[in-house]
Amino acid sequence: MRILDLTLKDLTQVLRDRKALLFLVAMPIVFTLFFSLIFGSQGGTRDARLPVGFANDDSSSPLSTHLLALLQDSDAVRPVILDNKQAAKAGLSVRDGKLAAAVSVLQGFGAATLAGQPAPVSVIAATNDPAGETASNAIDAAMTRLLGSVQIARSSAQSYEKLKPFVSAAERQAYLEQALSMTSNAWRDPPLSVLVESATAQTSHVRTAQDNTDQSSAGSIVQFTIYGLIMSAGVLVLERKSGALQRLLTTTLRRWEVLAGHALAMLLVVLFQEVVLIGFGQLFMHVDYARQPLAIGLVSVALALWVVSLGMLIGALSKGEEQVIMWSLLAMFVFAAMGGAWFSLEFTSKTFSAIGHLTPTAWAMDGFQNVILRGLGVHSVLQPVGIILAYAAATFGLAVWRFKFE
Amino acid sequence: MSDQKAIEVRGLYKDYGGVHAVQGVDLQVDAGEILSLLGPNGAGKTTTLSMLSCLLTPTRGDALVMGHSIRSDSMAVKAAIGVVPQDIALYPDLSARENLVFWGKMYGLRGATLKQRVDEVLQTIGLSDRQKGAVSKFSGGMKRRLNIGIGLLHRPQVLFLDEPTVGIDPQSRRSILDSVKELNRQGMTVLYTTHYMEEAQELSNHIAIMDQGKVIAYGTHEELVKIVGGLDRIDLTISVPLTTKDESAQVLDAWRAAEGVRKVSAENGHVTLLVDDSNQALPRLFEAAANAGVRITGVEVREPNLEAVFLHLTGRALRE
Amino acid sequence: MKMWDIALKDLVRSFRSAFAVTMMFVAPLLMTAIFYFALGGLASGSGLSVPATEVQVVNLDRPAPQFENFALGKMLTEFLQSDALQGVVHATAASDGASAREAVNQRMAGVAIILPENLTKALLSAEGRASITLIQDPTLSLGPGIVKGIISQFVDGYTGARIAANVFAAQARERGIQVDVATAQDVALQYGMWASASAQNRNNGQNPAIELQAPPSKSAATNQRALLAGLIMAGMMIFFTFFTAAAAAETILTEDEQGTLARLFTTATPRTIILAGKFAGVVMLVLVQVVVLVLVSGRAFGIYWGDAMTVTLLCVGMVLLASGFGVFIMSFIKNTRQTGTVMGGGLTISGMLGGLFTTGFQNLPRAYEVINLFTPHGWALRGWKTALAGGGVSDVLPTVLVMLGLGAVFFAIGALLFRKRFA
Repeated sequence: MRILDLTLKDLTQVLRDRKALLFLVAMPIVFTLFFSLIFGSQGGTRDARLPVGFANDDSSSPLSTHLLALLQDSDAVRPVILDNKQAAKAGLSVRDGKLAAAVSVLQGFGAATLAGQPAPVSVIAATNDPAGETASNAIDAAMTRLLGSVQIARSSAQSYEKLKPFVSAAERQAYLEQALSMTSNAWRDPPLSVLVESATAQTSHVRTAQDNTDQSSAGSIVQFTIYGLIMSAGVLVLERKSGALQRLLTTTLRRWEVLAGHALAMLLVVLFQEVVLIGFGQLFMHVDYARQPLAIGLVSVALALWVVSLGMLIGALSKGEEQVIMWSLLAMFVFAAMGGAWFSLEFTSKTFSAIGHLTPTAWAMDGFQNVILRGLGVHSVLQPVGIILAYAAATFGLAVWRFKFE
Repeated sequence: MSDQKAIEVRGLYKDYGGVHAVQGVDLQVDAGEILSLLGPNGAGKTTTLSMLSCLLTPTRGDALVMGHSIRSDSMAVKAAIGVVPQDIALYPDLSARENLVFWGKMYGLRGATLKQRVDEVLQTIGLSDRQKGAVSKFSGGMKRRLNIGIGLLHRPQVLFLDEPTVGIDPQSRRSILDSVKELNRQGMTVLYTTHYMEEAQELSNHIAIMDQGKVIAYGTHEELVKIVGGLDRIDLTISVPLTTKDESAQVLDAWRAAEGVRKVSAENGHVTLLVDDSNQALPRLFEAAANAGVRITGVEVREPNLEAVFLHLTGRALRE
Repeated sequence: MKMWDIALKDLVRSFRSAFAVTMMFVAPLLMTAIFYFALGGLASGSGLSVPATEVQVVNLDRPAPQFENFALGKMLTEFLQSDALQGVVHATAASDGASAREAVNQRMAGVAIILPENLTKALLSAEGRASITLIQDPTLSLGPGIVKGIISQFVDGYTGARIAANVFAAQARERGIQVDVATAQDVALQYGMWASASAQNRNNGQNPAIELQAPPSKSAATNQRALLAGLIMAGMMIFFTFFTAAAAAETILTEDEQGTLARLFTTATPRTIILAGKFAGVVMLVLVQVVVLVLVSGRAFGIYWGDAMTVTLLCVGMVLLASGFGVFIMSFIKNTRQTGTVMGGGLTISGMLGGLFTTGFQNLPRAYEVINLFTPHGWALRGWKTALAGGGVSDVLPTVLVMLGLGAVFFAIGALLFRKRFA
C-alpha cells in the first residue's frame, strides 16, 4: 500500500510540473509529426523519387522523348525538365544536392543511335553519394532499355531488309520508328514479369521503397520510450538530493519498496507516453496498431519496464542531475541507434546487426514490426517480450544492488 | 581610530515597489573602527550593505566610502572595499587557491604580488594545507573562511562582512571573530552585520541597531545599555508552550499588568521581561503564573544587554 | 585583461566538468561513430556494403523438350546460386511455395522466389505470359530490392529477345510477309547477344552509352561512407555546438544564483567587462569544441571537410552564430530552473527544424529545406553541406556572411538584455 502512496506522490509531482508535462506529451507528438512530414504518410501525393535533371538538345528525335518516358516510369527517379539556363548550371545543382543527377541529350543523339553509331548521353552524378549512385543506376537502366529497343528496331529492320529491301531512306526510317513504338508498347506489358508480395499474414500489401511510415512510427515509439530514462533516473537523484530519500528510509519502508514505488510511477508515465504515440501513429500515420492490441500492449509494457529499470540504474549510480542527463542521453542515443529505431538494421553490416540485436530496443522493434509489418499475432511477440523482460529484471536487480541510499 | 570618516551614510532609502527595505539610514563610521549593524532578519542590514557595496542603487540618499560617493564614484568605492557576502560566493569546482587567484585578479592583483598575497591570505584563514582541494569538498566552516579570505586579498581599506558566522560551528565562529579583531587591529575599518548580540558586543566600537529599515539606536555598547537604564532583565522558562490563545493571553496579560514590569516578550517556552527590580518582580510573576496554572521551570536574572535594549525599543525579541 | 581572466576561468571550469566534456566531444563523435560503424566498418573503403540476402527459390518451371530441354527456371536458379552473386545473394532451393513463405515468416530468408510452372513455355510461345513471384520480408527493403533488380535484369534479357522476335514478325506480317520461326529466332538471338554483351560491359563498370562526369568540386572525392559520416557529423556537430553555447551562456544565470556574479560586481571591474568576459568564455569554449570535432572526425572517419580556408570560414561563422544564439536564448531565461526546458526541448526542436537529424537522408521535401533556413542551425548546416560537396570559399561565403550577420544580431540582442538586467 505504501508503495502505491509513494507512486501517487510522484505522479502528483509530475502533473504539477508543467515542464515535465511538456516533455511528456508535446515533444513526442512534435517529433512524430516531424518524421511523418519527412517521410510522408501512406497514400500521400508527394513524389518521393530522386529528382534528375533532363536537358534535351535533340527534341525532334523520338529517342530522346522515349528516354524521358522511361525515366518518368522509373521507380527510383523522376525527371525534371531543364531549360538552357538551368542546364548550364546543372553541375552545380547536382553538387548542391538539388538534383541527384543531370542528363544531357546532345543534338543528333537520336539519329546517330538509330544509325548504330555511338552517341552517349552526358550524365552528371556524384557516385560517391548514395543518391547519386541510385540516380546513376536508374539512368543506366533507362538507357539500357532504350538501347535495347533500338537494337530490336535495328535487328528487325536488318532482318526485314534481307526479305524485302526498303525503297527509300524514309521508308526505312518509318520502319524503325514503328519498331521502336511497338517495342515500347511491348515492354509496358512484358510477357515475363516479376510480381512482388509482402509476406504479411494479413494482406498482400506491397511495400514501396518510399513507404517508411511503419518503420518511423515504431522507431518513434521506441525512441521516445527510451527518453523516459531521464525522468526515471532524475526522480531518484532529486529525492536523494532533497533529503527526502533519507527521511523515507527512517520509516519502516524497505529499500526495494522505495525503488518499486518510484519505478511504478515512472512506468505509468512512460506507458502514458507510449499510448499517446501509438494513438498518434494509428490515427495520423495510419499504422495499424489496433489490429493486435494485446500484442502491441505486451511489447509496450515490456519496453516500458526495461526503460524504467534502466532509469533506476542510472539514478542509482549518478551523483547529480548533470550525470543523470549525461548517462541518460548517451544510453538513449546508443540503444536507439543500435536497436534500429533510427535506421533499419538491414542497412548495417552483419557484425553491427548482430551487436544491435543484443539490445532490448532491437527486440522491441522486432516485436512491433512483427505485428504492424508482418501482420503476425501475439505468438510472434512472445519471444521479444520475454527477452526484454529478462533485461528489465536484470537491470532492476542491478539498480537495487547498486543504489546509493546514503 | 582617526578623525577621518571611513563611511558616511546620509539619508539612505531603498524601496522595492511598496516595500520600504531601508528608510532614511544615517550612519558614520570612523576610519579604523568596527561598526556592527545589529538587527533581526529583515531589518534592512543586508540591503544597506548592498547599497554601500554599490550592488544596489539607493532610491534616495547617498553615502561616502573613503570619501567616494556610492552614487557617482562607485569604481573608487569598490577599489576601497572588500565584501564578504552572507551567502558563500565561491566556485565549488575550483580549488581554494584557484578561487583566490581568480578573485585576486578581479581585484586588480597580478603576478608576484598576487601570488604572495594569495599565500598570505591562505595562511591567515588557515587553509594553506587545503589550498589545492576542490571547494565543493570543504566543510561549512572552511568555506566561510575562504569566503572571508577573498574579501581580504587586495587589502581593502574598508571591509564589509554580512553575517559571516551564520550556520557554522563555534570553533570556526571563534576563529572568524578573532580574525576580524586582528584585521581591525591592523587598521582596517569594518562594517559588520549580525543578528547575534554577543558578536556585536564583543567586536564593535559602535553598534547601530536596525529594525524595519531604520536605525533605531546608535552608540557604544555602554551607551546603548544605558537606554534601558536600571532595568533588570528576567528570562523565564515555562512548562507549557503557551499554544492556546487563552492560556498565553491570560498569563502574559497578568505579567504585563504586574507592578514593576516594563516589557514582556514571549517565544514558545521562553519569556523575556524587563522589570524595575527583579527582587520585587519575581514573586508577582510566580503568583500570576500559579493563578494561570502555568509552571515556571527556569529563571534567570541578567544584566541589561543589547537584547534588552532591542526589546525595550521595539517590544520584540532580537531573535524573533 | 580581466575579461580574459573571466573567460579563462569559465573555460577551465567547463573542461573539469565530465558532463560538459561528454556533451561537447563524446556525444557527437559517438553518434557519428555508431553510424559509421553501422555502415560496414572501417575496413572496406569504397561503397556501402550490405549483407547478402538469404533467398529461397522454388523452381516449378517445366523444361521445353522441343528446345533441348531448355528451362529458364533452371537457368535462373543456377544464376542465383552462382559464385558471381555470392556476395549479394545466398540462394537455396526450397521444395514448395508454402515452405519458402514460412522461411520468410520465420526470418530465415529475406526473399522467397517462386518460378511458375509455365515460365519457359511462356517465354517460348508467341502469346504466352508468366509471372515470377517474389515474396519479401516486409521489414526489409534494400535486400529484396537488390534481388528484384537481379531477377529483372536476368529475365529482361529473355523478354527482350521474345519482344524482338514478336515485333519483327508483326512488322513483317503487316507488310504481307510471313516470317518463319528460324528467322524470328535469329532476331531474338541477335538481341540476346547484344543484351549479354551489354550486361557484361555494365558489370565491368563500363557503359559506352553514358558519359559520366562528377559534379564540379574543388575537393578530392571521398568515399560514400566518409561522405555519409561527414553529413551526420555535420548535423551532430552543429547540434552539440549550439547546446554547448547555451550551456556556457547559462553560467551567467548560475553565477547569479550562486552569488559569485554579485561578488564580481563588487570588485572594481566594470559590469560590461564582466559580462563581456562571460560572453568571451562562451565563444572560446565553442571555438575549441568546433576545432577539435572537425580535426578528430576528419582523422577518425576519413571526412574531408574542405580546404583550409573554407573550413576556417565555416568554423568562425558557426562559432559566432552558436555563441550569439546561446547568449540570445539565455537572456530571456529568468533562472536555471527554466533552462532544462529550453535546452532539452527548445534546442532539440530547433535542431530538428534545422535539418540536423536528417542529414543522412536524401530527397527530403522542398518545403522542409525551406523551413531549415528559418533556423540558425539550418544555415550552419547549409554551409557545411556545401563544403562537404566540394564547395570552396566563394561557394560558402554567402552562407558564412549570413551566419555572421545572424550571430551578430542574436549576440547584440542577448548582450543588451543581459546588460539591462545586470549592468
